[in-house]
Order: sequence, then structure tokens, then C-alpha cells
Amino acid sequence: MKRQTRAMALSIPLLLVMGCGELDQPKNEEVKGGKVVVNFSAPLMKKTLMSKGVVDENRTVFGYKAFKIPYITTDESGDEVEASGLFVIPIGLPPKLNQIGLSMVSDDHGTIFSNNDAPSVIGENNGTPDGSAIILTSIGGFATLQADYIGFGDSNDHYHPFVQKESLANATIDFIKTVKIFASDNGIKLNNQLFITGYSEGGYAAMATLQKIEEERELNVTMATPMAGPYDLNITAFGVLSAPTLSVPSFMAYVGYAYATTYNKELSSIINEPYASKLPTLLDGSLARPDIDKELTQTTTGTEGLFNPLLVQDFFKNSNNWFREAMVENSVHAWSPQTPIRLVHCQGDDVIPFEISQLTEGTMKAMNAKDVSIVPVEVALGLDTNVTHSECGVMAYKVTTEIFSKAREAMIKQALIEQMSRE
Amino acid sequence: MKKIITLSIITSSLILAGAYKVPEQSLNSMALGAAYVANTQGADTAYFNPANMAFMPSSQYMEAGFTWAHLPKNTFKGFQAYSATEIYPATNESEVENLQLPFLHYVSNPIDKFRWGASLTVPGGLTKRWTDGHQKVFAEEFTLKILELNPVASYKVSDNFAIGGGLRLIYSEGIVNSDGGAIKPIKREMQGDTIEFGYNLALSYRPIKDVSLSVTYHSNIDLKEEGEANLYLSNVGKQYDTSVTVPLPAALNLSASKTFMDKYTLEVNYERTYWSAYKELDFNYGSDIQPALRDSFDKSKPRKWKDTHTFRVGVSAEVTKGVTLMAGYAKDESPVQKKYLSYELPDADANIYSAGIRVQSNKNLSWGLAYLHDEKDDITLKAGENITGISGTFSNGGADLIALSMQYEF
Repeated sequence: MKRQTRAMALSIPLLLVMGCGELDQPKNEEVKGGKVVVNFSAPLMKKTLMSKGVVDENRTVFGYKAFKIPYITTDESGDEVEASGLFVIPIGLPPKLNQIGLSMVSDDHGTIFSNNDAPSVIGENNGTPDGSAIILTSIGGFATLQADYIGFGDSNDHYHPFVQKESLANATIDFIKTVKIFASDNGIKLNNQLFITGYSEGGYAAMATLQKIEEERELNVTMATPMAGPYDLNITAFGVLSAPTLSVPSFMAYVGYAYATTYNKELSSIINEPYASKLPTLLDGSLARPDIDKELTQTTTGTEGLFNPLLVQDFFKNSNNWFREAMVENSVHAWSPQTPIRLVHCQGDDVIPFEISQLTEGTMKAMNAKDVSIVPVEVALGLDTNVTHSECGVMAYKVTTEIFSKAREAMIKQALIEQMSRE
Repeated sequence: MKKIITLSIITSSLILAGAYKVPEQSLNSMALGAAYVANTQGADTAYFNPANMAFMPSSQYMEAGFTWAHLPKNTFKGFQAYSATEIYPATNESEVENLQLPFLHYVSNPIDKFRWGASLTVPGGLTKRWTDGHQKVFAEEFTLKILELNPVASYKVSDNFAIGGGLRLIYSEGIVNSDGGAIKPIKREMQGDTIEFGYNLALSYRPIKDVSLSVTYHSNIDLKEEGEANLYLSNVGKQYDTSVTVPLPAALNLSASKTFMDKYTLEVNYERTYWSAYKELDFNYGSDIQPALRDSFDKSKPRKWKDTHTFRVGVSAEVTKGVTLMAGYAKDESPVQKKYLSYELPDADANIYSAGIRVQSNKNLSWGLAYLHDEKDDITLKAGENITGISGTFSNGGADLIALSMQYEF
């Protein structure tokens, strides 16, 4: 028996060497204050865009490198929120442009419901270039900044203050400031040009951002092109609430939910049951718009409608109605910007009427705005037919990229002249 | 965290004898081309035919040894198609592999009609590395390491009939790396491991003196390798929990042996290996992976292997007192169908030739040396024949093995 034990003991050393740890984490490029989530070289980007028919062989295309950057901002209540955003830079610029540095475009994204649609979340989950940053960065050569907004990305546990100017402006401005530090820390050269844009809710957010920047006077904006935003919320609300049906009920449900939360009102005082009880779940960032719409009614108001008829009646009759006051308070069309503004908007917009931009332009000019004008997308692109809100987005970004490029070109020429005179 | 230590010291991997199953696990087995089942006599009886332990003279037996394996470069001449319009020359060679495999067997003294034994072996495994070219997109490294501890017992039903069986304790590690390099901006690093269980059964019948008939069965064991995977898209990587399952297939062996004049033994063996258990290579991840990577890394890859037949014959002769010469031949069928063949295992039918010598140094100790040559057929895939887009010829597959072993009886 003793011999048997000795024999079997011989196998023990062999078993001892078994064992397994964990795989090392991926060897990604290290950056200070954020992380790389997308890194497509210029040739890969060009190949990708050519395969989708976006560009042809002769088009210059830059690489697309995106960073997810966490930062701190403040919400409507003044409380600090840990937020996040996406910073995208072009790769493969000519050396002379690199010397001058990148012009920044703060690009506020449009309405989203699912957290998976937030810029930094898309970047992190997909690892591929996406959306307007492709046009602005890989085709336009700009550094693109896209704040996720409060309620998305790292602040997904917070409700999204939909079309509320204070938090949207805070989220954007704080991200711009954070990106400047990030770029400096990581050797990314920026120039002094800062452009501001955004589409739909992003157009509204861009205008709110510009207004706050001009109030605070900490940042200098070269030019802003808010696109198809509901700048006058009061007029927009009047239009929507007077219509018998809602083409996209989730948009207005989002407004009702966000404003009730921010203004500490009972949600059922704005939204009828059973929808009021459903909204916290429907709008928790896990669902996309089509899934939310099918849970709601398209009837605007009445006992079977989305909006509480008592609120709607009071909204129309009473100028002191809290919701009406909130709409006025959050409107961003009635002030006097000193930064050049181009209101880019499709004349065929079926969600945010083109007239909103006309009203905004007229109001601002009446209030002595320095340089405000409308750029109808159809006219700028020489289109024969009008374009709807959803189809307009990509075209509007092309127009905006062209506008910003011209402004940058003038700056580059001036910089090169100064450089040559110094040499 | 770095992987602490792996089985590489003791269980390097091997492609041999029908895909990734390795039947030769002792000196006699290798020298006789794995025809060694019905007439097992040493400690390796515990592994190859535990029922035969019942017929062994009363004593304890032990065998310890190593196999050195040399796998030459696998050559591919041909093309790789990614789509109907993306077809590239892909002539290339895989890496040479030099590996060491241990084996250890033990058989106890009988306890009445019972007897027990145990084996520590490497019953399967594979490694294939392509360090460049289009092959690297699919299989920069594909390694499966398997270590088996096999405690067994036998029961002597009568003087000429015995049964046996045991528990198969399997520890396995898998490594899967692929790198698109300049061809595709994607990369995968995966490693995992698992402990699994199975069983084996055996019966042995000796109708007349010098004749032995045996049936053995090793159960299928699904190796669910669980670990982590780093998936990269254009140099940006994320880590996911991951698992992938490959089978160590069931195998049925029908064997017979006849000894002549107490000196010469002829052994024949037929093995049916149930490779059809390997239906697909399907990596599962703990969360959704990036959409651009799904086709390459998440989509199930059909394998649809087929059950195989292997025929073996072995002869041994005690040429002088204490010196036994052995030789073997096997015709081994590949389970891999051309349609589903891939770079990680471009397996083909093989002819296996083997020889060996065993020397009895004294009453207790013997030692031996065996050599085995595995000659794989070339395999040619016509354009459009293979779902991975491979067209061309794989050649130079195979292996050369040398086993050195010591047996001790006490």
C-alpha cells in the first residue's frame, strides 16, 4: 500500500502546474482624461465611405479618431452630474493644417430616446464612425464635440431634461471646456475657432449654448448654425396642442415628462393615464422611439388623448399657466446674439416648421442681432423639391460643413500669410 | 491579469490521427500504430483497455514517458476569397511546431476480482499557427490543450471474460487568436479553460489461449472553454466574457489479437470516432459585441464533421530474450469535409507508419523507444467549394513522433 501511495504521488506534480488566470485587458492607446473608442485610419475611412457610395475616389477623406471623455456638468437644479461626450478628430491632415491646429465644432445631437443612441455610447458599443461626425470630421476636417447630454452616456441614471435650455447649454459648454483641457493634455493642437451647431433638439441646444456663452463671455464662438430647432417653444407648443393628432407622440410625451420632473409637477396633471404611469419606464433610456410610440396614443388631448385636457385648456386661456411660462422661459429665439448665426432649415420640414426659423430670424434682427440669416437647405443645395425633417438632417450637415469650411479657409489663409511674413 | 501558468510544459498540442484526437499514449501504443487495445499488457492497460487489467499477473505496473512531436510546416498554395470580387493570392506556410507530451499509467495489485488503475494522458489537442497572410485573419493561433486523468477499475467475471471502466476527468485550455492585419481591421485574442467529465467502458473476452477480443468505448465530452476574449476593431479593443464548445468525441474500438508461439503477436483494431458531434464553432459572449465584428467573431461557423473509420494493424515479436520489436500501420480518415475545412485544422486522410523497441533490462524494469510517421494526404479545394472562401491545395501536413518510456513492475 505504501508503494502504491508513492507511485500515485508521482502524478501530483503534474496536476499542480494546471491553473489559469485571466486574459490581459486589450492593449489600447492610453490617453489622459478619456479613452479611445474609435480609430479608423484615413485609408480605411475612405474605403468605408466609398463602399457606401458617400464619396468617390477623388475625394479627400480624413481618418476618424474618437475619444469618450467623462466630465462634470450641472443640471436644471444646479446639481453636479457626471456626464460624458464624444470628441472626434481627423487623422491624416496635411502638415501645414496640423500646424495651424484643428477648428472645433460643437455638434449637439438631435432627439434620442435610447441610451444606445448617445454619441459616446455608439462609439464605445460599435467602435465605428457614426453620424454627423463623419461629415464634419472625416470629410470636413473639423474636430467634432458631441456631448451626450444629461440623461445619456455616463449620466444615464438621470432623466433627460428634454428641450430645457439651462442643462443642455451646461452640458455643451462644460464639454467644450473639458475637451480643450483634454486636447492640451494629449497633444492635440486646436486653433481658436469654435463653431456651434446641432440638428432638431440639437439645433435648440446649439442656440441655448450660444446664448449662455454670450452671457458668460468665457468662450468665443466663431459662428453658429443651429439647424431645424424649436427655438420658440411657446409657439411650437401652441401649434402641437391645437392639432387633433400627434404625428410622433413620443416627442410631446418626452416634453411633458421632462418638464413635469424639472418643475416638480404631478405627471398626471400633464399626461393622461394610463400613459403617465408608463412614461418613467418608457423613457428610461432602454427603448428606442418606435417602441415608445406604439405604447402611446396619437390623439393630442381629451379623455382618451395624451395630454390632460385640463392642462391644455388652461394653457390656451391662462398666460400664467405654469407649462406656458416654462415654454416661454425655455425659448431661445428672443435675444440679441453678437455671433454670426446661420439658421439652417429645410423648407419642407414637417416636424419643426421652417417658419420657426423665420420667426427667430425676425425676432433676433428686431432685437439688434449682429448677423443672423436663414439658409434654406433646398436652396443651398439647389434641390427641386422640399425635404422633410428626417431626410433633411444629412443635407443640413453638408450645408453647415460648407459654411464652416469657408470661415475656416479665411482664417487659414490669414494664418499662412502671417506665417510667411514671419519667415 | 496575466495568465499565471498554462499547461504548455506538459500538454503542448498536437494534430494527429484524425483531427485533434491523439490515441497514442504509451510506448506500445505508438509503436503499434494505436492497434494496441486487445493485447494490452503493461501499465498502459489502464488507459487502452481497463478490462484487461483483470488478466494481468499479480503485481503493480507503472509506465512513465514522453512523446516528442514535430509538426512540419503546412503548406497552402491557392487563393482566399472574401466575396465574389475580393479574391487574393494566399499561398503561405504555417509555423513548425515542436511539442512534448507526457503520459503516465499505473495498474494496482488485484483485490479479489477487482483491480484499479489510473492514467494521466493528453488524449487530444491541436495547434495551428499562421503568423502572416490571409490565414492569419482566420487562425493566427488555434490551440486546444487537453489533459486527462482517468481512474479506472476492472472486474474479472470469469477466467476469460472481464469488464472495466472509469471516469474521465478532463482539464482543457483553448487559445484562439486571429488578426486581420492590413487585410481587415479586426483582431481577436481569446483564451479559456474548462474541467469536464466523461467515462470509458471496456470488455475483454479470451475465447481460447492467445486470442483476445475487446470492445472499448470512450464517451463524448463537450469541452466548453470559458474565459475572456479581447476583440479589436481598428486597434481599439474591448474585453468580453466568452465561451466556445468543441467536442472530444466518443470513440468505439473493436479489437482482436492473436499470439503465435508465445513470441509473435498480431493485433488489429477498428475505431469508429463520432466526430459528427462537432457541428459548429460558435463563440458566445457575455454581452453584445460590436456590429462590425459580428460576422467574423460571433456568427456561428458550421463545421459539420463526419464520423470516421480508422483501421489499424500492429505486429510485435520478441526477437531475443527481453527484446521486443514492434511495428504498426493505420489508415486514418479525416472527419473534415472540404466544404467546411478551415485554416485552423486543414485535416486530411492519413497513412500512419510506426515502429518501436522494448527492452527488458531486469525483472522489474523495461524501457523502450517508438517512432511514428503520420503522412497526411494533400487536400485540394476547388473554387467555390469551401464556405470560408479557400481554394487551393494544402500539403505537407502530418507529423513525426518519438516516444521514450520506462515501465516498472513491482
